[in-house]
Amino acid sequence: MILFRLTLWTLWARKTWVVVYLAMLAMPFALPHIAPVEELPKLVQPARAQAAWQLAWLLGIFWGLSQAARLGDGNSRTGVGNLLRSQGVGSLSQLLSLWLGLMVYLVPVALMATLICVTAAAPSYDGEKGMWWATNLHFALLYLLAMGPLALLGIGISSRFGAMVGLMVPVALALYGLHGVGYLGDTIRMGGNPILEWAYILSPHYHLADLTPRLLFKMGGLAGDALAEYVMYFLLLGLVMAAAARLLFKTEPLRS
Amino acid sequence: MKELPEASSVATGVMLRLGRGLSIGYEKKIAEVPEELVLGMGTHFLLARNGRGKTTLLKTVSGLLKRLGGEYEVGGRCCFVADDLAFDRELPARLIFAAFLDKAGRAAAAELADKVELDVKKPFGKLSFGNRKKVGVVVAECGRRHGDVVLYDEPFTGLDTPAREALLARWEETRGEVTRLVSCHPDLDEMAMPSALLISDGKIGRPGDGAASWAELKRLLK
Repeated sequence: MILFRLTLWTLWARKTWVVVYLAMLAMPFALPHIAPVEELPKLVQPARAQAAWQLAWLLGIFWGLSQAARLGDGNSRTGVGNLLRSQGVGSLSQLLSLWLGLMVYLVPVALMATLICVTAAAPSYDGEKGMWWATNLHFALLYLLAMGPLALLGIGISSRFGAMVGLMVPVALALYGLHGVGYLGDTIRMGGNPILEWAYILSPHYHLADLTPRLLFKMGGLAGDALAEYVMYFLLLGLVMAAAARLLFKTEPLRS
Repeated sequence: MKELPEASSVATGVMLRLGRGLSIGYEKKIAEVPEELVLGMGTHFLLARNGRGKTTLLKTVSGLLKRLGGEYEVGGRCCFVADDLAFDRELPARLIFAAFLDKAGRAAAAELADKVELDVKKPFGKLSFGNRKKVGVVVAECGRRHGDVVLYDEPFTGLDTPAREALLARWEETRGEVTRLVSCHPDLDEMAMPSALLISDGKIGRPGDGAASWAELKRLLK
């Protein structure tokens, strides 16, 4: 509990969450007007939904994961990790305390994207409201299932190798999983290569958690079995990341 | 490491036992205990020249480092306060206290911070070196429980004389509540050393009869 409270206060004192939350609340309303929407006013709301969730990814990856890296690095470098370990607070407990503290600040990002979509970007036709809610709730769930373990991994890596490595690895994984995997898939479709096929299978498929196209084309939420498969996939991926984070986590950095 | 049963160790006063043959170091042995050492409640100073194993001994006893051989026993909850203990740059001391301490601890921390002239509202990163040191000491002092074994690594470095005197006075007041093992390089020759452990020539021992001052003890350091 000490480290959880310390993490909450640390993030509070850094104040960067203020900028992140303000950006989350303001940018989805401002960004669609960069384009000449006066000509096609019907596009404002889909553009707002897209902006809200793309911003959530952007802030989650670059702000959330940078905070994770700083937390893991700080815990080991400052001696707080060792102080707590000497008092009997184990590595797993420290790792989870740091992570939970961060998630308290990251969950509102997903909630804000959801709320903006359902209040300020919802379809005008009443019959589509339920579908819109479902899509956004599925999106929020998958977003958190993707971002949470990446943050955990960032804390684990940075506690051992420092903040820079702890930031770069999860950010690279997130960007690759969201965008790079798609290019790999296209390459495989052009010509079968077993190594690339294995690489594709073993890659983190974060693009599955990005339901922006379903929002833009009003395709509705995922079907029950598809949602269950996606959730199971991200839970298993999360388990692998959590195991890696626990193995890497140290309460003091590597000795030089 | 064995843990002494807390109730019995408090009753017998044996809080820390460094068994004969306890050997400390990283890959290579730095020092060992030739004769068993038993420490009761109160303040014990740990003296040695640079690189002789003060921090290594404290880390070993607090379970952060594996011993290379031998045994030791601790009778209470450990708390290792590192020489370079720090907190996030943006965190003021009052929020650090809020995270680490309960209500009574926070009140005690406010009082102690006032005594040692620590500005609890200033972000940690803006505090001077000495004042940063005070934050860790206040956390350890006000977060401890009865019977704890607190291991301080060079807590006096950077502290001015009034702060050091306030700390020593507090340790004297609470000597029956907690065991403190304090590594230090005293800068006052007349500083009393009622109980001291010395690491010299690769051996950890307890010199003199408790009446020796720092000036006398430092002649024994090799």
